[in-house]
Amino acid sequence: MKHSKALFVSIALVALLALAPMGLVSADGHCEFDDYTIKLGGLAPMSAPGAVAGGVAMDWAFKQAAADINADCGVQIDGVNYMLEVITGDSEGSPERGQAVAERLILEDEVDGMVGVYHSAVGLATMGIMEENGIPTIFSEPWNDNVSANGIREFDGAPPRFDDGIDHIFRISPASSMVGSVVTDWLIALGVEDVVLIVENTDYGQPAAADEQARLEAAGVAVSQIDVELGTEDFVPILSRIQASAEPPDAIRIVVTGETSFNLTQQMAELGIAPTPDTICVTNQIAFQHVQYWATVPDGNYCAFNRVGIIPSLFNDTAIELNAAYEMEFGDIVPSFGMASYDAVFMMVDAMERAGSYSDAAAIVEAIEASDILLSQGRYYFTYGAHNESMPADDSMPDFMWHQWPDPIVTVMQYFEQGQSSLDAAVVYPEVYQTHGTAYVVPGTSP
Amino acid sequence: MALFQRFEAAIDAGIGRRRLGYALLALIIVYLLWFPNDTSQSNYAKTVFISGFFYAIMASSWALLAGIAGQFSFGHMAFMGIGAYVAGLVARDGLAFLTAESISSVGAIVIGTVVAGLVGLVIGMLLLRLRAAYLALFTIAFSELFRIVMLTEYDYTGGSNGLSLRPLLQIADVETARQVEYYLMFALLIVCLLAMYWVANSQVGLFLRAMREDEDAASALGVNVVRYKILVFVFTSMIVGLAGAIFYSDIGSERIIPEQLEVLQMSLIIAYAVIGGMESLIGAAAGAFISRYLLEATREVVITYPFGLTTADGSNAFVWEPGAWRYALFGFVMVLTLRFMRNGLLYPFITWFSGRDLVMKETVAKRESDEDHAARQGADDE
Repeated sequence: MKHSKALFVSIALVALLALAPMGLVSADGHCEFDDYTIKLGGLAPMSAPGAVAGGVAMDWAFKQAAADINADCGVQIDGVNYMLEVITGDSEGSPERGQAVAERLILEDEVDGMVGVYHSAVGLATMGIMEENGIPTIFSEPWNDNVSANGIREFDGAPPRFDDGIDHIFRISPASSMVGSVVTDWLIALGVEDVVLIVENTDYGQPAAADEQARLEAAGVAVSQIDVELGTEDFVPILSRIQASAEPPDAIRIVVTGETSFNLTQQMAELGIAPTPDTICVTNQIAFQHVQYWATVPDGNYCAFNRVGIIPSLFNDTAIELNAAYEMEFGDIVPSFGMASYDAVFMMVDAMERAGSYSDAAAIVEAIEASDILLSQGRYYFTYGAHNESMPADDSMPDFMWHQWPDPIVTVMQYFEQGQSSLDAAVVYPEVYQTHGTAYVVPGTSP
Repeated sequence: MALFQRFEAAIDAGIGRRRLGYALLALIIVYLLWFPNDTSQSNYAKTVFISGFFYAIMASSWALLAGIAGQFSFGHMAFMGIGAYVAGLVARDGLAFLTAESISSVGAIVIGTVVAGLVGLVIGMLLLRLRAAYLALFTIAFSELFRIVMLTEYDYTGGSNGLSLRPLLQIADVETARQVEYYLMFALLIVCLLAMYWVANSQVGLFLRAMREDEDAASALGVNVVRYKILVFVFTSMIVGLAGAIFYSDIGSERIIPEQLEVLQMSLIIAYAVIGGMESLIGAAAGAFISRYLLEATREVVITYPFGLTTADGSNAFVWEPGAWRYALFGFVMVLTLRFMRNGLLYPFITWFSGRDLVMKETVAKRESDEDHAARQGADDE
């Protein structure tokens, strides 16, 4: 008994000695920080039914941004350095849960600003919470036009939420209406005469296809549409219909998201339908994630895809460093919403520093409106806001341009080598961003 | 153990278990009534409670349908969705000869509730002549069908961006608004529970239990089985339709999305009811409320290091964000509940307070005594 008591005391002493130095280590080697930690809330879907892969990338980007800012002496306001913490709240992709989490972040964690949001439904549902509590917010991924348009007009008959006259919501992802036209403009520029649209039967797929069809038909292009359900595994019957037509179409445009687009593209390539010298293959933007793409679509060489976000050839130093860190963590290229989430944290911090306050919402909102900062996706600024240009009285400028970053880059890219990294893929459209001097790489050739 | 037996004896001799149970229930109700006035609680806490009340209605109504009437439906979330979507669409677009402006928020909610009941009636008339497995299969299919229609008819429903319902309340002050929302949802829970208890304890409830135990025997004894099955199906459909229409009228959430109607969400409702106790309305309601609270509270688990210790980066606490793991843990609790406490985790408390365990003990003791008596008599006869 005496022996075991001595043993216990020894273990306790060793444990204390091992733990004691932890308390002595300074939080940072070279900066003196104030006791107060500035907190930002990051909304991202971290569990089902949300898009978890997107949420994980966004969460990583928030944390990476905070780490980079803290390594550079944190948030510097009036000569005082503040540590920055980004607290991720799991929206689960649900408006109801998103609202609850937004309230928790604002009221319990007492965050000074909000960033992130992946799903438009969550963005639309949480905006009211941020407005009610006067929290400056920069959304990094929701595309629904109303996310930014809500600042100047109401929707769905809801009462005005902006009693204080301040709209706290900004967006640096593109609005849906900004994304749609690039692929059709490219196909028209290539002179295609007939296009088959394979479209997922959802509220993303159908309006996007309707928009593309209208643009193509206005340019005299014949369009036929085939609808598919998300989650379908076997597309051979659908593809056989295309194969059986007398003349192969000039292009097949896949308006289908996620893994389903991979299956469809692979089966289409396997059957020799597209890409071929006669038929252009245009697949979903997720093809940019080249590791996943080549693992599932090994026959998908020469397929084109649209890319939302900055293109690799335009990566600046910030983007290159961010991408390297992301690749080290996940083994793939950083997605656009990861970059946007990283940038949103920096933009908020930049605005707080210029506003000289982390708590004066009106001053921070004014500072965000006056943003002019180069980050991983390029130069951020806002054309329309309470302290910027007024929105034109006529309808010449769509409402979503309010508090909307006007320059998100949307391009068409194309693989031209088997297993190629998307960093090396050709940017074929718009011409101003072309990397290989061509608007299309014909299958079997090199640019 | 002996101490507990002494406590039991003292309670039985004094206030009595049932009265103690009522006193405890009254205390909980008083606490819940006082809660929004607790200035130390933020609006977030009230939001969590509002959500808890909503899911308590969902779980307890499912317990009435499945636990008491024995009708295993997976369409509960779909009927909730019908109530919410119809209320939202009617308030926005009007209905037949009624313009949207002429329909108040309350009117829209009433229409949503009635439509949920009517759809329940049609499905009930089509299906409830069939045995349990077919109802389960059909309601899964119906739920998915409804979800996909809401997703693909985006021009009307907003698709995955969701449908924003007309707010039921127009209160400018956020604090006051949240208080009123809290009391409204709490009152709805109480009213729904009372209505369900009234049904469960009426002659209809007796028929429902008889049907659950043996449908053929109940039918042979003159119970119109199909009629009562349809009745309870329509009744619970209307309850969840009403709850959905109110909750999504900016009381708990300002918009409903099709993903809310997924089978995964329905499985959560079943899990709440199973954990609380499928055959007890109050048990299922409490199970749902507590489960929702715990799922919210475990979003972030913070364990502060003892003795003021800190780590190298200055942190004085271990923070664990379980994310989806808390649902996995929740599922594990449900598996354990089904294996070891089939009547739910709250069942022992409910039986103790209701004094039902005394009746059970008395019945068992009487049966044993009768058997002993019969055995002795048999031995004497020999």
